[in-house]
Amino acid sequence: MADPDRGATPEKGNLSPEDIAEFKRRASELGTRIDSVQAEKQAEIEEQQDRANRSRGMAYGLRMSTELVAAILVGGFMGYMLDTLLGTLPWLSLVFLMLGFTAGILNILRTFKRMQDEIEAQKDFKLGQSAPDEDEDGR
Amino acid sequence: MPDPIHQFEVKRLFPLEIFGVDATFTNSALFMVVGVILSFGLLMYASRGRSLVPNRMQSIAESLYEFVAGMVRDSMGEQGMKFFPLIFTFFMFILTLNMVGMVPGFFTVTSQIWVTAALALLVFVIVIVVGFAKNGLGFLRLFVPEGVPIYVLPLVSLIEVISFFSRPLSHSLRLFANMLAGHITLKVFAGFIIMLLGAGGAASALAPLPLLAVLGITALEFLVAFLQAYVFTMLTCMYLNDALHPGH
Repeated sequence: MADPDRGATPEKGNLSPEDIAEFKRRASELGTRIDSVQAEKQAEIEEQQDRANRSRGMAYGLRMSTELVAAILVGGFMGYMLDTLLGTLPWLSLVFLMLGFTAGILNILRTFKRMQDEIEAQKDFKLGQSAPDEDEDGR
Repeated sequence: MPDPIHQFEVKRLFPLEIFGVDATFTNSALFMVVGVILSFGLLMYASRGRSLVPNRMQSIAESLYEFVAGMVRDSMGEQGMKFFPLIFTFFMFILTLNMVGMVPGFFTVTSQIWVTAALALLVFVIVIVVGFAKNGLGFLRLFVPEGVPIYVLPLVSLIEVISFFSRPLSHSLRLFANMLAGHITLKVFAGFIIMLLGAGGAASALAPLPLLAVLGITALEFLVAFLQAYVFTMLTCMYLNDALHPGH
């Protein structure tokens, strides 16, 4: 139903063109303010995540450094113990030292795989694989 | 130059013998007691209010809980929460001892290999006991990876066994070595300041340089103190997960 007053008098229910322009300007200003606050929040969250990721990466680095050494030591020790038991002194030590080295590499690979899985679960890309290279499109 | 190793010296405070076992109370034991009282006291104090809207202390305690609970759930799933008290105790004990060690003049218990070795061996024994209790002989599947041809299986199993026994060693070495190295570095750099100041003249003007380094290393050491507690706990979770679900 048409309001008979509508359009007739600017004071009742109708806005003058200037008022409409003013209203639109304020609405868009509010929009940009909300956008900037949201962007700020988003950046803050991303920075926090970034920091968490960095310390997690450091934790993994600290882990891997000792995995290799420990496995070699344990391998060598086992070999030496077997050698002294069986009286075959240098041979088993050497074999077990090699096996220990293999076990150490295995430990490191497992740690790395776990780290990769964790990162993959978080974002959907693989470490060192098909990650978009910034240089390529910025020629 | 001050001796950087001096800070790790274990001193006998008062002698004690229990059933012929030398259980002398040392400064190391004293700081372990301090660590236990501190962590226990702080958590008790923080959780006394139990308000819906936490105050500062309570929210610290809550975020510590959330942190460790998240770690346990991530690595072991919901059934891993059975081990939560153990893992949270490990985390709080190591974190508090590492942080107490950062106070100048205080003894760093976690820089003693026998303390970290005892903790790591405790985890190792628990893993073996839980593994056999949950899975029986199926726990031995841990040493038999799937999809390995039978003719290389002995070799692979041997490597897996070495890998398994290297766990307590790397577990204890990592914590011990990081704390030891960090504190020695701090001491050495602090020693440089005194040496440069003592030299006089142009050398003294250089003294602020090691001071800046000490400032940076101290911040780094706080990070390492936390990270090492985190790594130790996370590995405990991982090993316990292997005990619950053997076979990779």
